[in-house]
Amino acid sequence: MSATTIPVSPETDRRIDAVLDRYPRRSSALLPALHLVQEEKGWVSTEAMEYVAGKLGVAPAFVAGVVSFYTMFHRRPVGKHHLQICRTLSCMLRGSRDTMNHLASRLGIGPGEVTRDGQFSLEWVECLGACDTAPCAQVNDEDVPLLDQAAADALVERLRGKR
Amino acid sequence: MPDPNPPAPPPGPAPAPQAAAAPAGPALPPCGPDEVALLIDGRPVVVKKGTNVLQAAAGLGVEVPHYCYHPGLSVAGNCRMCLVEIEKMPKLQIGCATIAAQGMVVKTTTPRVGTTRAAMMEFLLINHPLDCPICDQAGECRLQQYSAEYGKGQSRFVDEKVHHDKRVPIGERIVFDGERCIKCTRCVRFCEEVTGTRELTLVDRGGHAIIDTFPGKPLDNAYSGNTVDICPVGALTWKPFRFQARVWFLKNVPSICTGCARGCNVDLATYDHKVHRITPRQNADVNGWWMCDYGRQTHLPAQEGKRLERAAGAGAGSAGTAAGDALDQAAAILQAAASRHGKGSVAAVVSARLSIEDLHAARTTLAAAGIERVAVPPHDEGADDALLIRRDRTPNARGAALVGFGAPAAATAAALAGDIATGRVKALLVIGEDPAGDGWLPASALQNLEALVVIDAFRTATAEAAQVSLPSTAYGESEGVFVNCTGRAQRTRAAVRPQAAADPVWAILRELGRRFGAASSWTSAAQVFEEAARTYPAFAGMTHRALGEIGAPVRGE
Amino acid sequence: MAQELLLTRNIHRERSETIDVYLRHGGYEALRKVLKGTTPEALLNEVKASELRGRGGAGFPAGMKWSFLPKTKDKPRYLCVNADESEPGTFKDRLLIEKDPHLVLEGIILASYAIECHTAFFYIRGEFHRGARTFEKAIAEAYQKGFLGKNILGSGYDLDVLVYRGAGAYICGEETALLESLEGKRGLPRLKPPFPAVVGLYGCPTIINNVETLANVPYIAERGAAWFASIGRPKNTGPKLFCLSGHVRKPGVYEAPLGIPLLELLNDRAGGMLHPDRPLKACVPGGSSMKILPASRCDVLLDFDSLAAAGTSLGSAGGMVMDSSTCMVGALLNLAEFYAHESCGQCTPCREGTGWFVQVLRRLETGQGRPEDPDLLIDVARKVEGNTICPFGEAVAWPVGSYVAEFRSEFDDHVTRKACPFGAASVR
Repeated sequence: MSATTIPVSPETDRRIDAVLDRYPRRSSALLPALHLVQEEKGWVSTEAMEYVAGKLGVAPAFVAGVVSFYTMFHRRPVGKHHLQICRTLSCMLRGSRDTMNHLASRLGIGPGEVTRDGQFSLEWVECLGACDTAPCAQVNDEDVPLLDQAAADALVERLRGKR
Repeated sequence: MPDPNPPAPPPGPAPAPQAAAAPAGPALPPCGPDEVALLIDGRPVVVKKGTNVLQAAAGLGVEVPHYCYHPGLSVAGNCRMCLVEIEKMPKLQIGCATIAAQGMVVKTTTPRVGTTRAAMMEFLLINHPLDCPICDQAGECRLQQYSAEYGKGQSRFVDEKVHHDKRVPIGERIVFDGERCIKCTRCVRFCEEVTGTRELTLVDRGGHAIIDTFPGKPLDNAYSGNTVDICPVGALTWKPFRFQARVWFLKNVPSICTGCARGCNVDLATYDHKVHRITPRQNADVNGWWMCDYGRQTHLPAQEGKRLERAAGAGAGSAGTAAGDALDQAAAILQAAASRHGKGSVAAVVSARLSIEDLHAARTTLAAAGIERVAVPPHDEGADDALLIRRDRTPNARGAALVGFGAPAAATAAALAGDIATGRVKALLVIGEDPAGDGWLPASALQNLEALVVIDAFRTATAEAAQVSLPSTAYGESEGVFVNCTGRAQRTRAAVRPQAAADPVWAILRELGRRFGAASSWTSAAQVFEEAARTYPAFAGMTHRALGEIGAPVRGE
Repeated sequence: MAQELLLTRNIHRERSETIDVYLRHGGYEALRKVLKGTTPEALLNEVKASELRGRGGAGFPAGMKWSFLPKTKDKPRYLCVNADESEPGTFKDRLLIEKDPHLVLEGIILASYAIECHTAFFYIRGEFHRGARTFEKAIAEAYQKGFLGKNILGSGYDLDVLVYRGAGAYICGEETALLESLEGKRGLPRLKPPFPAVVGLYGCPTIINNVETLANVPYIAERGAAWFASIGRPKNTGPKLFCLSGHVRKPGVYEAPLGIPLLELLNDRAGGMLHPDRPLKACVPGGSSMKILPASRCDVLLDFDSLAAAGTSLGSAGGMVMDSSTCMVGALLNLAEFYAHESCGQCTPCREGTGWFVQVLRRLETGQGRPEDPDLLIDVARKVEGNTICPFGEAVAWPVGSYVAEFRSEFDDHVTRKACPFGAASVR
C-alpha cells in the first residue's frame, strides 16, 4: 500500500504514528489506532484493517479478529447520526423499548440499519453505565440521557437541523 | 482427520513400585529432584516436573478426554472437556493447564467428573450439525468418540441451532465448515505458533464466534494440511480426501515420506489396494507432529503417472518383452558397448531417491558389470525452510553417500552429459532418474548412445528413448531404508501391491547382476539390508526389525 | 448522626473536575504527606489494615491483593485502573471519573507508590467519551502541577499515567481480559494461575483495582486505617457508593457506610418506589450478575458479608429495583440476552449455554415454553457454574438459577397459560 493509497488522511496517519510508541509494547497501540481510524471515517473498512496491520506489524487476520470482537468498531458505514439506545434491564424497565420502537417507526429503519439518506442509523447497545438517567442513549459520542419518546422526537429534530 | 494425539506420555514416567500402603492409601514413591509423585485415581505415578495432569494420566494409561489441548501447541484451556477433580480444590480443574504437583490427588472417574463431561458434551452438541453421514471425520471424530464414551445419549435441545457458512474454501486445499467447528482454536494456534503465518483468527464473539481468514489472504501456507489433522472434528477437511473413503475401511501403513530429505514419518492410509491419503506420524526426532502439504500428495504419481507397465526390449511390440528376455538384452547391449569401446565407455546414473537396498544392489551389480563411472544427479528446489522442508528433494542423498556413490553432484552429472555428447560414453544404465526429462541430458546427446537401459517406475522421456526399459515399483509399493538429512535411517513399507509387472529395483538389479556373474540371492528387502549392514559401517548391526517404525541414527552420527 | 461525605464530597461543587477546585478543598494533601515521610511498605500495610475491600465486584481485600506482588523487582510493575464499568445497574465509577477525577487520580498515585510501580494505566470503557476526556484533562493538570511525572513533589518518585480506551466489551472488566485488551488483543480472559500479581500486563507483575477502590486510598493515607475501619461494619469497612435504578423515584448514586439497610437506601434516600401503587417485587442488590432478592427478603444490610449470608452478593453495588408490574421472565430474558451478547465465546459452557438460555427464555416469554423448561434452565445454569475460564459463568448462571428459583410459579404460569401473564410485547 503506497503512501498515496492509504485509506486514511495524512493527519490520521500521523496521529497513528504518534501512538505507536506511546505504550511499553507496540501491540497496545492497536485499539487506539482503530479508534483514530473510526474517528475520521466513521467505520473501519477491510482496507483500513490491512493498513493498521501494516502499521503495527501484525497479521491482517489478527486485526480483523480484534475489530470484530469490540462492538464499538463498525464494520459497515453508519449514519451521520448514529443513535445507540441502551437495551439492558434498568433502561428496559424505564421504557427503552418504546423509545426504540418510536424512533424506528419515525425514521423508517430498524436497529442495525441506516436511513437511505445516510443521516441516521439505529443500534441497540448494552448498559451504558448511566442507569440513573434511564432510558439512556448516545448519538455518536454524545450522551443523551432520559430519552423517552418525546425527548426522542426533540432529538431527531435537533439533529435534522444540523446537516 | 486423524489426530496423532493421544497425549504423548510424559518423558520418563515410571509407574511406581507399590510401596507398603499406609492405611490411608498407597504411599507416594520416592522421586528425583526433577520429579514429582502424585496419585491419579488412586494409582501413584512419578513424572518430570512441569508435566501437566493430562499427560501424567496418559502415562498411566488413563485417558482424560480433551479437544483443545495439543502437546505441540500452547495451552488454550477452552474446551473444558478435561475437567477433573483435584483434592483440596473446590472447583474442578482442567488437566491440561494444571501442572502435576508433589502429593497431588487427582480423580478422573468420580460421578462429578462424569456429570461434567456429559454436560460439556451436551453443550458442544446443541449447536453441532447432524452431519455424521456425510462428514469425513466420521470414524476418527472426537465428538463421536466422547459422545459414545461420556455423553448423555439424548438431546434436550429443541431450539434452532446457530448457523454458519458450510463448505467455505478457506484455502486451496482446505474446506471449512463453520457449523461443525467447536472453536477449540487448535488451527489458529498452529498458524500462529508453528508456521507463524497467522492466516486464521476467531472473529465475532460469544455464540457467534467463528474461525475466519482475512479477505484475500487464504490459508495457503506449505503446512496447511496439519490444521486438518489436528482439527478434532470435521470442520477442516482436506480437499483431495473429501468424500473419498470412510476411515474405518482405511488401514494405516507406517512409512516415510520421500518428498524431500527430511523423511517425515507418515501413515499411508490404504483401502482397496490404493493409498487414499498420507498423514504425519509422530516422531519427536524428525518431524514432531507435522508434515508439509506437498508430502501429502506424493502417493499420486504412482496412481496417476504414466507407469512403465511392462519390460520393453529392442524391437518390442505393444505386448512388451518377457522380463527375462529384456534383462538378457540389457546385459548384452551394455557388454557389447564395453567390448567395443572399452570399460570407460559405460556409465550409470543412480538416483538419490532409491532406497539403501536399491543402492546396495546397484553397487553390487555395477561392480559385477565393470561400470565404474556413476553420476548421482541432485534435485534441489528452493531453500531449506525454518520447519521441515529441505531444498534437497531426494529422500536418500545421505544414503547414496554412505553407500559410496558420493553425494548428489551437479558437476558430475554435467561432465557425464558432456562425455555422452562427445561420444566418449557410449552406454548408459539409468536407475530411477530421467536425465532427458530433467533437462541435463539433451535428446540429441541421447541419440549418441549405443545402449540405453532404464530401470524406472514411470515412462519417462529417458525411458521412451531407451532400448531396454525395466519397470520398477513406485512409492508405497515396496520396502526400503532411507537416510534423512540428519543421518537417520528409517523404513518405508509396502502399502499396496505393485502395479503391473513392476519389481523392486534391488530385485531387477539382482537379475541383471546375475547376467554379469554376480551371485546375489536376495529374496527380500530385509536380506539386502542385512548385507548392506555388513558392508557399510554406517549401518553396522542394523536390521529392518530393529529400525522398527521410528528408525535410528546411522553409526557415527 | 450526619454522615460525613467522603467519596462524594466534591461532586456537587462547580467545576469539581478541575484541579483548582480539588486543591482548594484539601486535595493532594494525602499525597504530600505520604511522599514526605511514608515508605511504600508502610502505606501498603495501612491499606491492608483498613480492610478496604475491592469495589469492582469481587470484594477482595485490596491491601492483600497488593501484597501478592513478588518481592523481586526484575520486571517493571504496573497498576491498571479498572474503569470499564459495564455491570448493568452500575454507574458509580462514572460519577467519580466525571465529577471528581482528581480524587481517583490521587488514589492512583498513592497506590502506585505503595506497590512501587512507575507506570499506571487507566483502562476506561470506550463508551465513556466524556469520562475519558475529563480524566485526560485531569492527568494533564496533575503533570502541570508536578503531581505526576519525574520526581513528584521532590520525592524522587516517578510516575506516568496513561489512559487506554476500550471499545465495547463487558468482559474487559474481568481482570485478565482487561490485560489482554490493553495489550491490543481480543479481550479473552486468561487461565489462572498464574495470577496478574505475578504474571500480568506484558507478563509483568500487575495490580488491577477498581476506580472506587482507589478513591478510598487518599482517605486511608491521610486519616489512617483505624479511622477508615470505624466506618461501616467489621470486615466490611469504609464508605460506599450505592447505585439504585429501575422502578425507583430518584435513581442515582448514594454514599453511605457499608452496612446501610437496603430498605433505608431505597425508601429514605432514593424516594421509594416509582409508582405508589406498584409495590416492590424484587431487587438485585449488586449488579445484574448477583442473585435476585424477592421483596420478602429485601430486609437486608448492604455489605459484602450480610448479602453473602442472604444468599446473594454486594457485587458492584448496582442495585436494580423491580416493581409489581415487572415480568420476571421478561427481566431474566433481558439479562440473558445481555450475557449472550457479552460472552467472549472462548469456553464451551458459556459460549453455548448463554445462547441456549436466551432461546428457552424467548419461548417462555412468547408462550411457547414447555413444562420442563424451568427445570432445564436451572440444570443448565448448574452445568455452566464453576466450569468456565472466568467468573462470567457465574455471572450468567446466578441470575438464571435464582430468578427461576425465586419466581418459579411465574415461570410455570407462562407455560400453562401459553402466554406472558403481564401481556409482554413481542420480544426483540
